Amino acid sequence: MKSLLSLPSRLHGLLAAALVPGLLHAGYLREEIPLPPGEVMEIGSIALMPGDKVAVTTRRGDLWICDGAYGDDLSQVKWHRFAEHLHEPLGMFWKDDSLWLTQRPELTRIQDTDGDGLGDVFETVCDDWGINGDYHEYAFGSTPDREGNVWIVLCLTGSFHARSDWRGWCVRVTPEGEMIPTCSGIRSPGGIGFNAAGDCFYTDNQGVWNGSSSLKWLRPGSFQGNPTANRYHQLADLPAPPEPRDGSRILTERERFPELVPPAVILPHGKVGQSPTAVITDHSGGKFGPFAGQVLVGEQTHSQVQRVHLEKVNGLYQGAVFHFLEGFEAGIVPMRLSDSGTLFIGGTNRGWASRGSKPFTFERVRWDGKTDFEIHTMSARPDGFELTFTKPVDPDAAADPGRYAMRAWTYLYQSKYGSPEVDDSRPTVTAARVSDDGRTVRLVVDGLVRGHVHQLDLREVPSAGGEKLAHASAWYTLNEIPHPTR
Amino acid sequence: MRLPLVLATLVAAPLAAQDGGQLYATYCSACHANDGLGATGGQFPPLAESEWLRGEPDRAIKIVLHGLSGPIEVGGRGYNLIMPPQGAALPDDQIAAILSYVRTSWGNRESAVTPQQVADLRLATAQRDKPYTAAGLLKQHPIPREPSALRNLTSRIYHGQWDKLPDFDPLEARNIEEEHDGRISVTHADREDHFGLVWEGEFVAEKSAVHRFRLACDDGARVVIDGKELLKVDGTGPISADRSDEKGIRLEAGAHPIRIEYFEARGHEDIVLAWKLPGGTSRWHYLSESETGPNRGGRPSIPIEPTPERAAIYRNFIAGTTPRAIGIGLPGGINFAWSADHLAPELAWTGPFIDAGRHWTARGQGAQEPAGHRLVRLSRTPAFPAEARFRGYTLDPAGNPTFRITRPGVVIEDAYRAREGHLLRTLRSRGEETRTRVLVADTGSIERLDDTTWRLSDTLVVRIAGGRPEFDGRKLHLTLAPADSVTLTYIWR
Repeated sequence: MKSLLSLPSRLHGLLAAALVPGLLHAGYLREEIPLPPGEVMEIGSIALMPGDKVAVTTRRGDLWICDGAYGDDLSQVKWHRFAEHLHEPLGMFWKDDSLWLTQRPELTRIQDTDGDGLGDVFETVCDDWGINGDYHEYAFGSTPDREGNVWIVLCLTGSFHARSDWRGWCVRVTPEGEMIPTCSGIRSPGGIGFNAAGDCFYTDNQGVWNGSSSLKWLRPGSFQGNPTANRYHQLADLPAPPEPRDGSRILTERERFPELVPPAVILPHGKVGQSPTAVITDHSGGKFGPFAGQVLVGEQTHSQVQRVHLEKVNGLYQGAVFHFLEGFEAGIVPMRLSDSGTLFIGGTNRGWASRGSKPFTFERVRWDGKTDFEIHTMSARPDGFELTFTKPVDPDAAADPGRYAMRAWTYLYQSKYGSPEVDDSRPTVTAARVSDDGRTVRLVVDGLVRGHVHQLDLREVPSAGGEKLAHASAWYTLNEIPHPTR
Repeated sequence: MRLPLVLATLVAAPLAAQDGGQLYATYCSACHANDGLGATGGQFPPLAESEWLRGEPDRAIKIVLHGLSGPIEVGGRGYNLIMPPQGAALPDDQIAAILSYVRTSWGNRESAVTPQQVADLRLATAQRDKPYTAAGLLKQHPIPREPSALRNLTSRIYHGQWDKLPDFDPLEARNIEEEHDGRISVTHADREDHFGLVWEGEFVAEKSAVHRFRLACDDGARVVIDGKELLKVDGTGPISADRSDEKGIRLEAGAHPIRIEYFEARGHEDIVLAWKLPGGTSRWHYLSESETGPNRGGRPSIPIEPTPERAAIYRNFIAGTTPRAIGIGLPGGINFAWSADHLAPELAWTGPFIDAGRHWTARGQGAQEPAGHRLVRLSRTPAFPAEARFRGYTLDPAGNPTFRITRPGVVIEDAYRAREGHLLRTLRSRGEETRTRVLVADTGSIERLDDTTWRLSDTLVVRIAGGRPEFDGRKLHLTLAPADSVTLTYIWR
């Protein structure tokens, strides 16, 4: 904190509050990045730029570039405003010497051609989707996929209706600006991104036809479950999406309609979060801890970051969600994780409240090399699950099946808002086999239920060194039970 | 080692006991806050001492079951948010537990709620498929009024024309009434303009404490307690945060003489008077019939203006044009809104540019009216042939925009800047040998002044250099030839 003493007094109040780092839990250090004084920085997008610069946009539509966000001394951070008053941008990346921005009405490529530090070319790449003046018609844009396409999820009108073209759909925009309608059935997204394999995922919020919030796989041609905006298939001569039965179950309906892709990972409402947002993948190769390749999901209401382990079984994505990082200062909306292992999060709670009580925030998280005792992965097996851990488990305790408690349930697939947990079931762990290195535990489970979320609690399984799990629950969405091999 | 097993089982068990506090923390506290005061310093509605919880629980049960959308006033403060419905997600016993907790916490002293009460209302409202509005719910379940702290209240009515509070003492009252409900109200006057009212009575303090009083009025009023003036809002004007007064005074338990003087000049009339005890959780108690606080529906003003050196831009919903609106404020108070749907400047106005308060607070609902004056709606239909597309814009170092439009084989640039109080617009066409017909104006009152000049409205004239303007009696068009450049000068007068 010595660096504070030399700061100009105007900045002092701001930074003194901001620069007290918070230890999330072993190994992860959370720090607030000082913001330009007097500015309302309700951050909606983050883009990583060359030269260790970071660009952000605010809900007010300002685009700022931050220098020094990777530095050890955050009091040296410098900001400059690159563009002003764009239309509620939610998604940004850097490519070809330009910032590419998904804002409410369009995908825009922004350049500074005269080098004066201000954006001067605002090229409209694509504006082929409808907006009608409703504030809830948000557009969340991805980074480019491997072909350079930007994936954009278009929230329903008011999050309930389809009153403008392609609301409730996911579209891809090619580098040439062509819009390709890609998936139907979307309700109210909070973020979009790619997993390690390059497949696109988005988060959709609990509400009509969403019993719980979830992480969903945007398989091209798929129906994501909300039929409100089905009729727009007529605009492009696409096949009609399914009309599911109200009050059914996702599993039942997807067996009728193969194009209905079930949520890859349900984020059980209340238990895991209430408003999932950003979707990013850890490409740091271990610089952000032991979870390389896993997906991180932002959570606005609970001001948290959840961790997701995905796998593909019988052609569908599924997997487990774990609590990971928490205690952020406002509701998280965008996230970016640099290859060098710095996680940036931005947040706001205007209009949608959050546990973090500040109106807005910009923070970073870095890993210092210490590893907590965590469940690393949870994978489905034909007769149970396989767990891996970040540290060896206590072999005796971990081999006791009585220390694993399990509950499974699903949700009504219905036009009402949300759903209770239904079709409750109690699978039993009948055997737990610990690997020689103590890193893997194979659970044999009696009573797996296809299509259900399986909650696993293992609080009383310590590490070989006697540590308790930092997060002792996992929620696995068992869309498919793997076939026995051989 | 049996104990850990028991614990593990407990951890995995559902919330069978229905701990209302725990459920509240999980599902409600992010918005309403653990202390019931509303998250983020009250940016979200409080539940502590909320009048919406007063009396029967039906109002609250219905809101939890089906949600609530749109403007609502709680504790004298306006909100405009959405409470998502919880009925499909939470069972009756959990809703009952949460509401029982809420109705008995943070100073709330209402009855507990049973699962049966929730079940009954769930059944009764099963057909409902959208959230309630505050107004609709109040019709079904009016909030019971709490007794006023005013006793032995009388009102005197005076007639007269004032623009400031008069000295009422030498004036003769037209009428004297007893106000048994202890509420002051301008509706008891016998006319709508040019009158005064003086109420006298006793304010009964329940305990010895500093009492805060708040007054808002249209037009002027003052409040005198124990013979001393406490609050005053004088002159004429509507109820607003600016026209309100709030002060504290220490009162011992017991009755204190109170006198409230009020006058109305013309137009709307109202008076709002409330008091509260110290402390964050205590609520305003009204002494007036009106309970609309000065913060009601109010949003902060966040004006956006260009600097002398650089134009301002504002991309958001602007009333009077299409959703893809791009507002431009040029130095010197020359403003326009360019529609990226219709590829045209559809609104033009002078003076202040625009207020972002609507879009930059709460969820930012609705379209914002331009801030200035001499607003002209130039056109409201596409200005270019159907295949024309918006390609974005460039900003010069002074922030002046040039919009880019393409048609097959043609690029059109539409550039703007301010000059000598006028709006200067230059249209250029590049590309193949294709002419482009462009709608300039369709204001409904276009009048040709000479070969190059048209009056577009009472206050706006356009002069067009080049482009062979055509006026068909209703619409004004021009035609852009290849490599052509047409200059339009919009002149306000």
